[in-house]
Amino acid sequence: MVGMSVLRSAAAFTARLNPLKRHQLSTNLLSRTVARTEQVAVRHGSHGKRMFIIKPTDFYDRRFLHLLKYYILLTGIPVAALVTFVNVFIGEAELAEIPEGYEPEHWEYYKHPITRWISRTFYDSPVKDYEKMMALIHIETGKAEMRQTQVEVRKHMREKGDGPWFHVKTLDKNLIDHSPKSSPDN
Amino acid sequence: MPEDHDKDVYPEPPRQTPMVDKQTALPNPALILSKLFYYSVDLPVTKFRGVIEGIQGEKKSHYYHQKFRRVPELTECQEGDYLCYYEAEMQWRRDYKVDQEIVKVIQERLRACQQREGPSYRQNCAKELQQFDQVSKSFQLRYGDLGAYASSRKCLMKQKERMMAEAQKA
Repeated sequence: MVGMSVLRSAAAFTARLNPLKRHQLSTNLLSRTVARTEQVAVRHGSHGKRMFIIKPTDFYDRRFLHLLKYYILLTGIPVAALVTFVNVFIGEAELAEIPEGYEPEHWEYYKHPITRWISRTFYDSPVKDYEKMMALIHIETGKAEMRQTQVEVRKHMREKGDGPWFHVKTLDKNLIDHSPKSSPDN
Repeated sequence: MPEDHDKDVYPEPPRQTPMVDKQTALPNPALILSKLFYYSVDLPVTKFRGVIEGIQGEKKSHYYHQKFRRVPELTECQEGDYLCYYEAEMQWRRDYKVDQEIVKVIQERLRACQQREGPSYRQNCAKELQQFDQVSKSFQLRYGDLGAYASSRKCLMKQKERMMAEAQKA
């Protein structure tokens, strides 16, 4: 114990003597002496000493932002490039009066070339959509009408009883035994 | 810049900007700022537009305004004729949109007039004010509280209520 403290004090003494050559005992790093640095104007030829700055992890945040930028730009840049090229090289349409006797196609009612392309390639003309809706309405009107008449006909046939519906099955008239009816005073 | 609308079809009101009556020797900061804006923003943008139009070439595609035929209205439809109802409904919706745009145009005129005249707009813009008043009142009467699910039928019922109220008042 005493020898240890002597050794320690000797190590401290030598450290103070020659700060560049410090023989640190690996077990007692916490109790080592710090080299006393005097205030001297030092000119570094480099950017100073490289520091290991201890801070909380920003790995997850940076990874998230990196992935966000990556996935947004993955389709963002091609779309932006496409739209720029369309606007620069093709250009928007100009408004004009409808020439005499000319029926414009349904995409020729839009200004921007991409809208025109979408309307031409994917969508039916609004006239066709209108007609489709009218066809549906016509079919549904027919169905409603038929259902109404069916209900009315049912009512009439049930009332009067002379129609083809609401027949009540009776026995075959050949099965009736007329023999007791042939002699009335039995 | 793309071509402006036809000035004969939608004529702008005559400009009422007063003549410049400079009474000081100091430079006009509004003029300086406007010249600055012109040289820093307007001119480069116009030049850029010119370049782009040079690239695009002369063959321009055209677009048109669609013209719709008039169809019989809801009052002229037979009862139970759902096809007629549908066409009348579509026509009413188009007319509703047109009326909304008309109100917007009148609003825009009033706004421009107020901006031009400054503090004395109440006298100088009397015509625009009266026009706006009339148009907005009639729009409110016809399409006022119909709501988001407005339909030609509801509008017709509103008109009926109006006529009944008028008949009662008389």
